[in-house]
Amino acid sequence: MFPDLRRDVAFPLVGAVGIFIAVVAGGALYQGILGGAAERLVTIALIDAIIVVGIQIYVGNTGILSFGHIGFGAIAGYTFAVLAISPEQKAGRIPDAPLGLADVAMGPWPALAIAVLVTVLVAVVIGIGLARSGAESGAVAATVITLALLFVTHEVARNWPELTGGDRAGLSFSIGGALDSRIPIYGALLLAIVIARLYRQSRSGRLAVAAREDNLAARAMGVNPLVQQMVALLISVAVVSVGAGLRVYENGSILPDNFFFDLTLVTLVMLIVGGRNSVTGAIVGVVVMTAGRELARRLGQEGFEIFGLGLDGAPLDWIFRENLQTVFLGVAMLGFMIWRPSGLLGDWEFDEWLRRRLARDDKTEPESRPPTKAEATDVLVADEVSVSFGGFQALDRAGLSARAGEVVGIIGPNGAGKTTLVNVVTGMVEPTSGSVTVNGTDLTSAPPFEIARNGLVRTFQNLRLFNSLTVRENVEVSTLVARSHRGERDLPTVDQLVAAAGLWPHRDRRAGELDYGNSRRLELARAAGMVPTFLLLDEPTSGMSDTESLAMIEQVRGMADLVGAGAIVIDHDLNFITGICDRIYCLDQGRVIAEGTPNEIRADPVVQSAYLGTAAAT
Amino acid sequence: MIELAQNIIDGFGRGSIYALLALGVAVIFGVMHLLNFAHGELITVSGYVTFWAISAGWSWYIMVPLIIFTAVATSLLIEFVAFSRVRGAGDFTLLLTSFGVHFVVSAIFLLYVSASVKTFNRPGWVTNTYSVGSLNVEVFDTVVIGVTALALLGTTLLLQRTMFGLALRAAAADFDTARLMGVRSNLVIRGAFALSGFLAGIAGVFWLMRAGSTTPTAGIDPMLKGVLAALIGGLGSLRGAVLGGFTLGLAEVLLRSRLPDSVAGLTEGVVFVLIAVLFIFRPQGLLTVAHAERV
Amino acid sequence: MLEVAGLTTRYGAISALRQATLRVGSGEVVGLIGPNGAGKTTLLASIAGLLSPSEGTVTFEGADITGQPPEKLLRAGLALVPEHRRIFVDLTVEENLKIGGVTVTPADRAQLLEEMQELFPVLRARFGEAAGHLSGGEAQQLAIARALMSKPRLLMMDEPSLGLAPVLVDVVFKLIESLRASGRTLLVVEQNATRMLEVADRAYVLRSGEVVGEGTASELAERADLFDTFIGSRE
Repeated sequence: MFPDLRRDVAFPLVGAVGIFIAVVAGGALYQGILGGAAERLVTIALIDAIIVVGIQIYVGNTGILSFGHIGFGAIAGYTFAVLAISPEQKAGRIPDAPLGLADVAMGPWPALAIAVLVTVLVAVVIGIGLARSGAESGAVAATVITLALLFVTHEVARNWPELTGGDRAGLSFSIGGALDSRIPIYGALLLAIVIARLYRQSRSGRLAVAAREDNLAARAMGVNPLVQQMVALLISVAVVSVGAGLRVYENGSILPDNFFFDLTLVTLVMLIVGGRNSVTGAIVGVVVMTAGRELARRLGQEGFEIFGLGLDGAPLDWIFRENLQTVFLGVAMLGFMIWRPSGLLGDWEFDEWLRRRLARDDKTEPESRPPTKAEATDVLVADEVSVSFGGFQALDRAGLSARAGEVVGIIGPNGAGKTTLVNVVTGMVEPTSGSVTVNGTDLTSAPPFEIARNGLVRTFQNLRLFNSLTVRENVEVSTLVARSHRGERDLPTVDQLVAAAGLWPHRDRRAGELDYGNSRRLELARAAGMVPTFLLLDEPTSGMSDTESLAMIEQVRGMADLVGAGAIVIDHDLNFITGICDRIYCLDQGRVIAEGTPNEIRADPVVQSAYLGTAAAT
Repeated sequence: MIELAQNIIDGFGRGSIYALLALGVAVIFGVMHLLNFAHGELITVSGYVTFWAISAGWSWYIMVPLIIFTAVATSLLIEFVAFSRVRGAGDFTLLLTSFGVHFVVSAIFLLYVSASVKTFNRPGWVTNTYSVGSLNVEVFDTVVIGVTALALLGTTLLLQRTMFGLALRAAAADFDTARLMGVRSNLVIRGAFALSGFLAGIAGVFWLMRAGSTTPTAGIDPMLKGVLAALIGGLGSLRGAVLGGFTLGLAEVLLRSRLPDSVAGLTEGVVFVLIAVLFIFRPQGLLTVAHAERV
Repeated sequence: MLEVAGLTTRYGAISALRQATLRVGSGEVVGLIGPNGAGKTTLLASIAGLLSPSEGTVTFEGADITGQPPEKLLRAGLALVPEHRRIFVDLTVEENLKIGGVTVTPADRAQLLEEMQELFPVLRARFGEAAGHLSGGEAQQLAIARALMSKPRLLMMDEPSLGLAPVLVDVVFKLIESLRASGRTLLVVEQNATRMLEVADRAYVLRSGEVVGEGTASELAERADLFDTFIGSRE
């Protein structure tokens, strides 16, 4: 679950405590300066922080914009209220509550626990809906579904007075007791931060982030984004529910509008200002925006007087009004989206900074790992594959086979169906007939992530790296999946793979900063991390010069041998193909028109006329 | 049976306005991949202009072009101030930018304009009806449907038959390459916002005529309808937006007449649930073909 | 016709192009060759106005066009066929050609449409079809025809043979030859250095953002230090 205990557990815990202490100290300082009036402000800010951290767990790690988390908050808030209010008080407000809830008497903490449970169960249903809609970073459908949740909870709360007290009156109560002290809030906040950081560092968090960076590439590495997104959603909703319940407890009342657009805006702006990809950022966002809002509110009410200057701010009175806060929030949202969309902190985390400063990087480059012998019986067969798109026959009973340790090439004119064949083999296109089997397992209709887990891993013609992750973290994604699904094979470590790809000096650099050659090598190393039976490389020398292409021959051979994989390569660079392949298939118009060794293919007149043109003369 | 026919006509009447709003949203999405949550603010602004002008005694004949002009001007202003600065940004950023614009504009109204409802007089013929057999048809609905049909026809011709329309579609498909062709993409985008504003203006005229009042948050409802209708139809398709508008209008009317009274207040909620269900099973909307992944 | 002097373009802290200098004379076919990442595309994009250079000047027919946007440059007679062709896949072949001619008069546009269909018969055959249905080679022809619709005086092409099968690469270079024969001025970025040198009058060699060599094919062949840059092991 945690690949590296020092990086993934020890430091995050220390960091979380550090952030927590900073926040608590800051709040105490603020209260000390401004007195009692600030106490409630700080309490609400602390609770908001729990909610924002909860939202960050989902929005930050999956990249899916959710407008619905406050809707979950509404469910948790109302459940808590209905359960925690004493029967006497309920008799006055909601005497006809369904399920005999009017007679239920329960302490606040059991009520909160049940509220969290109920909300998480609802989240399971919503999560299934989101998964079914193909949620991924940037998907509008997911945002709409969450927006629908927000509206529906609001509508139900307004229109079901028997349960919720309706729109005007709402529910109000005094529970008394525990929330006079802030201890539960402190505890919940610390726990929220710890959970958020640990999740991000965990296997599920890493895979979710990979899917956020590039959904298709993640699936090609065996990641099932829908599972990780569901995990993130449930944890996120649980944390938000705790915050929502505490909010209701602190306020002593709940109205439908408490958990609607206003709170959604406030929490989202806080998350964005701080940096949605960072837990530390979420906290910073809460602090900054709370201070800013408070300033805006005071300016709105008191004008210039707050600075003690006694100035007559009359000329500027038209700026400072009651609702300045909302304008401030909207402007902050806009401003950051335009000028700094990644927020103040980007994806900077306090404990990572701490680790870089304090922990010696005592890693030396690992010794090169000897090549792995491929299982002599490994075999991939694509048999009689046909694909038609509408009326167009993209593949017509095309097929290929590859054996352990072989390198097989696919060449052919543009539009011949090479990429379509690879897409069928890797599960991105469903064939109308034919089959794909690896070592006897039929993978014809399997989705891409399952195919990768069964030993068929591909790279992409247009580089698809996880750009904000480092080189090591990129490779780590596939090794994490391999550990769960390729365990029967001999698994190399991340460091061995990075070193073998010649990327050791760059291991802690972000993938997005690498030059082209290193990027290609990283993609290869990442694919190798899945310890595939066969590597499928789609135009690996695209955009390379002649010398670079020749160097690629060694790199591909080296990586394949390292993990005992065979390889299937599509490319147009004939020097590369003839230099690396044991056998070559030539496709034209959806059919295999020739198959053989490089020399045989070069000499084949059918191939020559369809494809090689004047290059055959060389 | 009569009731069903009546519902259908009412649904078409509403649906026409939604279709106009949806088309305005879809046009912007086409060129910028931006879902415009601020679309409704155009109507809010128009609403206040209407109030002030009618209080000053202007007639509705002058109001109609004034409303349309206001909507276009506001649309261009918003583009200039906010949206022009996030061109080419990721979907997440774009969504939140438009959300932010919506909040800032409505918050500014809340700040500087009274939150109370401002009513104004509607033209006399709005409430007239005439009979077709045993059906009672509102003059208003007839006018709305007719004008909408004209507006949609005009927009289609503009987009499909003129060089401007071609430039718009090219810029929507590939902004940078369109510039390489010499298309003045900045102008094209402004043109899209102007077109969107024009459509919102027409929708706004009818919306305000029907409502007879305005508030600072009046824009939320038309915005939601426009956005949802465009989404239902599928954002990649202008035809889809129109279809989505009519679908939404019909669904609303039919639901409201069929739901038991006790839960009538939940009509909006039910509509939302249905939309969510649609998106769960058909995330690309009704008309857009799900694009095969570009590998 | 085109003079580039000391052009420098940065991506953040990285200088993708450093002090690049080149000349293209009227009627010439000039090649830009070099390994991937050398800055060839950056150079074309900087000339074409898609990127803003931080230093240096670009002069076209005597006028300083440094940093001007592509819309303006096209009207001045400078057209670019971008890398990966970038045709409008949802528009028809006809509409693609038309939009290429958006800056010319309607009369000229109609005439040019005819000429392009003459020059590229496959476009006539597929005139009303969506451009997304074209194969790679057909799409390349459409991209070039589209650029020619604007009556450019200098046509720039970015990797026209990229991703094409060898027999289609032949077609592309034959096309370049015939454009040259009809007096067009061309500036072509190519990774296929050998073929490019066969059709070009002169070529510039880029490496790591700098121009490291210049001359005719035979002049460059004598520069042993440039061998690894563009001569593969074809022998």
